[in-house]
Amino acid sequence: MATREVELFRWLDRLDRDDESIVTSVRQPAALREALRVAVDLGMDATVNDATVRALRDRLETFAQRMALESHYSQHPEARPSLAEVALAAAELDDNPLSQEPALLRRAADEVVAVKPDASADDVLVWAAALHSVRAS
Amino acid sequence: MTAAAAVVLDNEAIQALGTATHPKHRRTLSFIDAVNQRNQRRRTPISVFVPVAVRVEAGWDRTAPESSLVNRLARARDVVQNGAAADRAARLRVAAEVSVVDATVAQAAEASPSPTVILTSDVADMRRLAALLDGGAQVVRI
Repeated sequence: MATREVELFRWLDRLDRDDESIVTSVRQPAALREALRVAVDLGMDATVNDATVRALRDRLETFAQRMALESHYSQHPEARPSLAEVALAAAELDDNPLSQEPALLRRAADEVVAVKPDASADDVLVWAAALHSVRAS
Repeated sequence: MTAAAAVVLDNEAIQALGTATHPKHRRTLSFIDAVNQRNQRRRTPISVFVPVAVRVEAGWDRTAPESSLVNRLARARDVVQNGAAADRAARLRVAAEVSVVDATVAQAAEASPSPTVILTSDVADMRRLAALLDGGAQVVRI
């Protein structure tokens, strides 16, 4: 893993151990700021600051995790789950009945990438649900 | 059928994730990959949690060099138990006749955003525990 990537994880790992904070100035659209204030009033988060930090942290964590996954897959290609396998996992996470139909998910994964090469697991689930519906009709 | 909001890892899920040669490595990665895909598309974010007792059982010291793989792939947040959580875990342990660590997994699942998924190799014990939880939990075999 490259030096900058290691540095990113080092800072992220400090988030739960380190209470140090700094005051910073961020230029943001005025409408975004106002929408955030209203959303906080409606219960989205305790404060505008909490909402901002949480959104930013979630985005950073997701970016870093994807980088770690892709780095791992490049070193261990056999570890990369197929699109159908990820779709099966997504179905199991949701307790989706399609989790009982791995053959249908494999077919849906094969078909959906033909029209959408960057298809996600959820794209496969939508496609599989359509196949299931057609089959049932 | 509801989209998961939280995933709680048990001992074998951690072992499988952190060891590229583990027979369940690829399957466990498929769940982490699915979580990551969903979080990229900014649906309701899914958080991954690990009770600290599970980390102890699994020998997951985040500061150890050999933990770097599981640290980076799981991006799991620790669930630290306070007194009330320990009381709840103790009651669950007695009611379901399970191990201390399994009871802490169940308590962590109950305290996590719902709907919660427990990724485990011990489906029988976890399902017994999940049936006792307020709000329940989906138990998924890795």
